[in-house]
Amino acid sequence: MSNLDPAFVRGLTRPRRDFLKLFGAAGGGLALAACGVEGKKQAPAKQSDVQKYWAGKTGKGHVDFANWPLYMDPKKPELKLFTQRTGITVTYKEVIQEAASFFAKIQPQLAAGQSIGYDIIVITNGIQFGQLVDLGYVAPLDHGKLPNFAKYADAAYKKESFDPGNVYSLPWATGITGIAYNPKYVKEEITSFASLFDPKYKGKVGMFSDTQEIGNFGMLALGIDPEKSTAADWQRAAEKLKQQRDQGVVRKYYDQGYVDPLAKGDIWITQAWSGDVFQKNLEGAGLKFVIPQEGGTIWTDNMMIPKTAENPVDAITLMDFFYDPKIAAGLAEYINYVTPVSAAKQVILQDAAKASGEDKKTLTDLAASSLVFPTPADYAQLRHYRAFKNPQEQKQYESIFQPIVTA
Amino acid sequence: MSRRAAALTPYWLIMPGGLWLAIFFVVPMVMMLSLSLQQGDVVNGFQLTWHWQTYVDGVTTYHSQIVRSLQYGLASTLLQIVIGYPVAYWIAMHGGDRKTAYLFLLLLPFFVSFVLRTLSWQFFLSDDGILLGTLKSLGLVEQDYHVLATGGAVIGGLTYNFLPFMILPIYVALERVDPRLLEAAHDLYAGRVQTFLRVVLPLSLPGVFAGVLMTFVPAASDYVNATVLGGTNNTMIGNVIQNQYLVTQDYPMASALSFTLMGALLVGIFLYARALGTEDVLEVAAR
Amino acid sequence: MPMTETADAPAPAAAATLSAIELIGVVKTYQSRGEAVHAVKGIDLTIAQGEFFSLLGPSGCGKTTTMRVIAGFEEPTAGEVCLQGKNVTGVPANKRDVNMVFQSYALFPHMSVFENVAFGLRRKGVEKAEVTRRTAEMLEIVDLAGREKRRPKQLSGGQQQRVALARALVNRPRALLLDEPLGALDLKLRQAMQVELKRIQREVGITFVYVTHDQGEALAMSDRIAVMNDGVIEQLGSPREIYEHPASKFVAGFIGTSNLLTGTVAESGADTAVIRYGADERITVPVRGVFAEGAELELTVRPEKIDLRLEAPGNGACQITGTVTEVVYLGTSTNYNVRTSAGADVVVFTQNASSADDIAVRGDSVWLSWEPEHSYAIGTEAAP
Repeated sequence: MSNLDPAFVRGLTRPRRDFLKLFGAAGGGLALAACGVEGKKQAPAKQSDVQKYWAGKTGKGHVDFANWPLYMDPKKPELKLFTQRTGITVTYKEVIQEAASFFAKIQPQLAAGQSIGYDIIVITNGIQFGQLVDLGYVAPLDHGKLPNFAKYADAAYKKESFDPGNVYSLPWATGITGIAYNPKYVKEEITSFASLFDPKYKGKVGMFSDTQEIGNFGMLALGIDPEKSTAADWQRAAEKLKQQRDQGVVRKYYDQGYVDPLAKGDIWITQAWSGDVFQKNLEGAGLKFVIPQEGGTIWTDNMMIPKTAENPVDAITLMDFFYDPKIAAGLAEYINYVTPVSAAKQVILQDAAKASGEDKKTLTDLAASSLVFPTPADYAQLRHYRAFKNPQEQKQYESIFQPIVTA
Repeated sequence: MSRRAAALTPYWLIMPGGLWLAIFFVVPMVMMLSLSLQQGDVVNGFQLTWHWQTYVDGVTTYHSQIVRSLQYGLASTLLQIVIGYPVAYWIAMHGGDRKTAYLFLLLLPFFVSFVLRTLSWQFFLSDDGILLGTLKSLGLVEQDYHVLATGGAVIGGLTYNFLPFMILPIYVALERVDPRLLEAAHDLYAGRVQTFLRVVLPLSLPGVFAGVLMTFVPAASDYVNATVLGGTNNTMIGNVIQNQYLVTQDYPMASALSFTLMGALLVGIFLYARALGTEDVLEVAAR
Repeated sequence: MPMTETADAPAPAAAATLSAIELIGVVKTYQSRGEAVHAVKGIDLTIAQGEFFSLLGPSGCGKTTTMRVIAGFEEPTAGEVCLQGKNVTGVPANKRDVNMVFQSYALFPHMSVFENVAFGLRRKGVEKAEVTRRTAEMLEIVDLAGREKRRPKQLSGGQQQRVALARALVNRPRALLLDEPLGALDLKLRQAMQVELKRIQREVGITFVYVTHDQGEALAMSDRIAVMNDGVIEQLGSPREIYEHPASKFVAGFIGTSNLLTGTVAESGADTAVIRYGADERITVPVRGVFAEGAELELTVRPEKIDLRLEAPGNGACQITGTVTEVVYLGTSTNYNVRTSAGADVVVFTQNASSADDIAVRGDSVWLSWEPEHSYAIGTEAAP
């Protein structure tokens, strides 16, 4: 120790300005953070924006596709056909379990202008759909590249309130939120929302953790139309749902993961999306899906291209491919959700004519199913999501319903 | 070396460690703190407004989840001691040449990912599953009996998932107890029980202490077990924070809750260390 | 036997007739990695009340195992252990009235000096005030009063040693077992503790069984010594007997320095034999029994018993010639290494009583002589 420079020791031991500098650096970090999290509402896209975005973009021969589970035959016949015809390869991943959590996952990357690794994402017409559009995270679509859509998409899907004129999105499928139950345990015919609140099924009822889905059902059970609901209605619905939870009726709040527990018997009766049950039944689950007499809610899942996508041209090609009635029919045959291409019905009926026995019956039933090809009367019975006017309203809505699922 | 350069030397020397701390600890903490004091939303962005009210709101809204998290963490930690101590004791004292093999067996399930392990419990414990289905068909439990979606299931999951972190430090402490001390105690008229209570237990307490630190904190802030094994009234503060970050995207609330949880845990650990971390406690235990 | 009366000591009449420790045919065999290890191969031993008894031998000779059998840490494979005439074979250590001082002490690190010493009394359920009194008294005896609150870590090696001693002695055991207790101390402290141990033993009057591999320590402290080798007792006797009359080549070699000379029997008488050594030298050695002429015989003689001169010493019965190969001056004595005519190396110690020059220098031809009774033919001499 004796040969240590005394100045060295002083430097080590004297508390002083240098130390304050260190704190200064930390303060710099604070200043950095103080800028806040990025986020600015964008003006709606104009035709010039479309041209600007698509100018100079060419196909690269590959698409990365992010979708929900139970939205395509696991053998992916449509994608194989697409690759056969176009030479474009597709990586398909079932990574979306819930709209909000998926959005939260991709939002920071989109905000930073980075690729999220997917060229097509499928988003429900809810809160997050609006946010993606408002924040300018999704590419405006070049309809010059969408001949099938123009020709075969139903008129109703071209003027959806959440994206009139399909500036940012093309419908993938439409579904209905209703009630599914397992007849192995439930020995009665379920027809009403009341069953979800019935103490008889204490600890065996599943509800969705998505605030819009659960809020809608709370309101519908009280006879309120969600689309026209007010903040006071939300409070009432929340009370009803809180009561349902505190009585121990609700087993758990689920995302897409409700299907297995329903099949296993952990829950007997649950909020459900129309097509899921059909697909689970292909494995012999024997589940039932009903639209309650008070009405279900209808929603649309939409294909979108993130602005930062690496292969937007290939993506838009694939999106248009799904509007070929043959392809739409094949898809509907498997997933049992409402197809935006009603011409697919003819294709299914043609298939049925060619088939025989069990297959023939299945296809005929499908073509007649109100869950895949709803009639105008069916549509009239269904309710729509509440569209929020501004983020404050949405925040208020969430602060009312979020505490229910995170008790 | 000039005088001035010499005076700066210590700072050069602490720079690698200091930078590491700054990058991986100070800067994220400061950013989190800043975030917790901002207001806004994802669409319009967040602005720093020094909005301390978020903390008050967080604690008022979610105090039951905070308390529950501490309770679940505590319960699982106690269970881990009750289960882990005998296991560690047996391996350390009676493991012989196979100690390493036993430790390996103990850790084997933990080569599987945390979430998968928890999911496999969900499968195993489901209402009509392997265990309960069999018991129900044998008429041993009520038809509507269920384990999943209860606080017990969450505590059980936490206990299972963090058990090795309790066993290993206790094992190390026990392994380090000089066997001659046991002989000495035995020689001085202490039977098995007295030898354990007066010598082995006090000497292994530092291991238990370390085990508690290593398991209580992650258990109290866990959210996977409550998600997978819990039901409607088993939400832990970890779930709320996860939800605020990744679903609602209320970043300020999530950050404020994180800080609140961190503060609660730090205070708890500080009190715990003050109460149990000194040698006097060992002495009292040994008397 | 020296013996001081203490309050707890057994009645003198009974003590006089009973031995403190008795081992009868004790055998201990371990299984280690599938092989049988014979640590103790059959020991009979009687240790008297109040005796300072040493088990001496190299490492692996079975001395520690023997002690552990007495303490109750090991069950003998065969044989019996008696304490105070009572068979205690199979009685666990915590029920035996003997205490042990461990090699490197095994003090409880989490307890104060006081608690360490009080441990045994507390376990025996001695009344609280009595515990305090006896512990304080014992700390006084080992000179540690005032250090009650220290932790073992805060004490020096010698102090720890005394805590270990106090911790065992405070229980007033029938016998105290000490396993190489001074091994961890440096030479000076070791010598001081030897004296200290002797003093304490005299004061408390308890039987000490002392295990050591240090022959000097054993010779200095013991009333009797059992020299052990390879699981058996090679020789049992007082330090003087063992040193002066080693019963075997092993004992001769292990205790002190011995010169070993090999020759053939020339004449064999009733008590002595004459051995032909080298070309034409004759050595007389006391023996028991008659030996055939020409039989090979080994004899030993201690270095300090040999007289070294430059000219022939009179007409002695034991004298041989040799050449000095090395001279080492040690202050109190000088060591000479001598190569004999028959080619053996012999060590000779001479006291430096006068300040005169060395008797011989390297290369000198010298005469070595000794009294016949100072030499022993190995394996023929029974202990007197």
